[in-house]
Amino acid sequence: MRTTFAVIVALGAWLAAAPLLAHHAFSSEFDINKPLKLTGTLTKWEMINPHSWFHMNIKQPDGTVVAWLIEGGSPNQLIRLGVTKNTLKVGTEFTIEGYQARDGTNKAVGRNFILADGSRYLFGGSAPGAGGADK
Amino acid sequence: MLRRLLVATALAGFAVAIVHIAPLAAQGQAARGSAGAPAYKVPRLPDGHPDFQGFWNNTTYTPLERPKGIDREFFTKEEVVEQMKRAAAEEGEQTTPGTIADVHYDFTQFGLDRSQAPVALNLRTSLIVDPADGHLPPMTEEGKRLNAARAEARKRAGAITDAAQNQPLSVRCILMDRDGPPMLAGAYNNNYQIVQAPDTVMILVEMLHSPRIIPTNGRPALPASIRQIEGSSRGRWDGDTLVIETTNFTDMFMFAAQGASADMKLTERFTRTSDDTLMYRFTVDDPKVWTRPWSAEVPWKKSIGPIFEHACHEGNYSLTNLLRGAREDEKRAREKKPASN
Amino acid sequence: MGDWLGRASTTAVGVIAAILLTASAGAQTRAAQPASPQPRSGAYRAPRTADGKPNLSGIYQAITEAYWDIEPHSAAPGPVQELGASFATAGGLGITDGPLPYKPEALAKKKENYANRIKLDPEIKCYLPGTPRGMYMPYPFQIIQTPAYIMIVSSYARAVRTIYMTDHKEAPADSWMGWSNGHWEGETLVIDTTGFNDLSWFDRAGNFHSDQLHVVERITATDADHLSYEATIEDPQTFTRPWKIALPIYRRLEKNAQLLEFNCIPFVEDLIYGQLRKPSSN
Repeated sequence: MRTTFAVIVALGAWLAAAPLLAHHAFSSEFDINKPLKLTGTLTKWEMINPHSWFHMNIKQPDGTVVAWLIEGGSPNQLIRLGVTKNTLKVGTEFTIEGYQARDGTNKAVGRNFILADGSRYLFGGSAPGAGGADK
Repeated sequence: MLRRLLVATALAGFAVAIVHIAPLAAQGQAARGSAGAPAYKVPRLPDGHPDFQGFWNNTTYTPLERPKGIDREFFTKEEVVEQMKRAAAEEGEQTTPGTIADVHYDFTQFGLDRSQAPVALNLRTSLIVDPADGHLPPMTEEGKRLNAARAEARKRAGAITDAAQNQPLSVRCILMDRDGPPMLAGAYNNNYQIVQAPDTVMILVEMLHSPRIIPTNGRPALPASIRQIEGSSRGRWDGDTLVIETTNFTDMFMFAAQGASADMKLTERFTRTSDDTLMYRFTVDDPKVWTRPWSAEVPWKKSIGPIFEHACHEGNYSLTNLLRGAREDEKRAREKKPASN
Repeated sequence: MGDWLGRASTTAVGVIAAILLTASAGAQTRAAQPASPQPRSGAYRAPRTADGKPNLSGIYQAITEAYWDIEPHSAAPGPVQELGASFATAGGLGITDGPLPYKPEALAKKKENYANRIKLDPEIKCYLPGTPRGMYMPYPFQIIQTPAYIMIVSSYARAVRTIYMTDHKEAPADSWMGWSNGHWEGETLVIDTTGFNDLSWFDRAGNFHSDQLHVVERITATDADHLSYEATIEDPQTFTRPWKIALPIYRRLEKNAQLLEFNCIPFVEDLIYGQLRKPSSN
């Protein structure tokens, strides 16, 4: 019906806006002009709020290892889904696609976390969207 | 391929959620016992009061004010289902590299996108139910002056990245919309835990791990000289509805963002209309700012726990990082400038 | 009318009999209540909640100098000269059962903490107090008791402890206040807490712990207005053996006693972020 389409269009802007309100501070913290892709192993997942932090050892082309800190989301919903500090193992290898911190340090926001097998979800069956079968 | 899988999963999850929810209008009717449907028998505590305990989520797709071009009070169920499906699909989509939206962790990775939250189906076109047009009432002259003064003060303080105090209260971990009061959903973690003891109701708000302790034993209000960020709340039972009255706000409070004055009086009402629905209604009475009181209503949906410690201020590396980033940007800009003569 | 009088006097006799029975039979009188163990003779029996447990709900505060230093200590000057006597350390008998059994390297760290306490004490930055520190800070806390959850809320930094009474799980992750599982032993609330991070202190003197901290608290009402609070602290990474603290806790008796909001974050932002403020052009 005509009104349905008008409704969806009218609401579109507002519906899209809600999650974007959280983005403002991130684009101040991280630089949109510094996209990066890092591969390494996890040394620690700090399950804290307001954002969790993945401590990574990133392999450099010359073979050395550099420590990076990658910002992720609050762990609270994952905890409700059964994720604990034992879920993500130290040494897990993954690639991060994200953006570097504006202050130039070895910090980045992790947009995508890609496991060695190519899948996008670190938390396996616990994460919504992972596998598709569970939730 | 993965993108389609994500969207399909989000939609499937969403579809499962709504199959079990009766449309809100019908639920309301059922609670009031009309149209032949049996009235809901709310579970009771030993003291006879309704039991609202448990975990609740107030995520909503409904805006505070009625969108332009919409004149009716309710959408049809089909329209709302379609709106929610589209929102879920959008949230499930990958962001485009090089856009602001991409400079953020992926909500889906952490289970935080809105379509993953329990949502009570709401057919209303706005949360505001009074005035009947779904809009805020007109602002008084004093209200306009108050808010103009606030905007002026913000301008004088400088850019948002000049100092921690220039950032929103949420980024400073001082106060978030989920805390209010009134308590309104944000982007995620819109969870609450309610516990009830004989003379006290406590609402633990997930975001900021905020305790709202509401006495229900008739304790008098604080003197007007004591002001608090979340005001001071007193509760009482009106039949099966918990009524919470809050006054004594300080000027650093949530509804300043909505234009309210610190002398605002807030009345919140909780009524359990089904096992999985807690109806939340609030009235704002602020004659300094609005020509008349106004009310809004949003259903809360039963959720699950636990609520893990949200030690926001303690973990607030982001605020340090964004301030440092701004100072680094300024330093780089200064160093690029040619030497002055 | 005669009938009414007859019924009234029968009722009166019944009521008196019931009172006498209740007084003599002790804890197991009422059939509707679940049986609970008899308290030691002379021990206080707290009023019961609807689910038959000692009712500890209320507003309390510790009266002690332990928030300065949990060990016995002398009065000492404060580290901020401008605050003079207002922020000098008051002497205290302490709440510990002896000198803290630090491992040698941990004792060195404690001394370093003390020397740098103005920079390092998490309380100064309005960070959560941790457990047990939140129980003996000089601010009131409130116990809100229900069968499945007991909430302990401190007015300082609005610190919340959720005590899980029925759904006992392991801590999913580390936190400032720890993850608490509670159960009743007669009149005593026993709280077993693990899942701590290593960021909180025990007091303002730099006494600290690692994330191996394990705290077992025993809280008992000793009369209508007092609690006895004991805690066993175990942390094999920091100390050579477990140790105990004990102190009485007092009910706040003022009319309308309540927790006032103490959101200290706005008071510490210049302290924490001031050096990152944009330099003014003046």
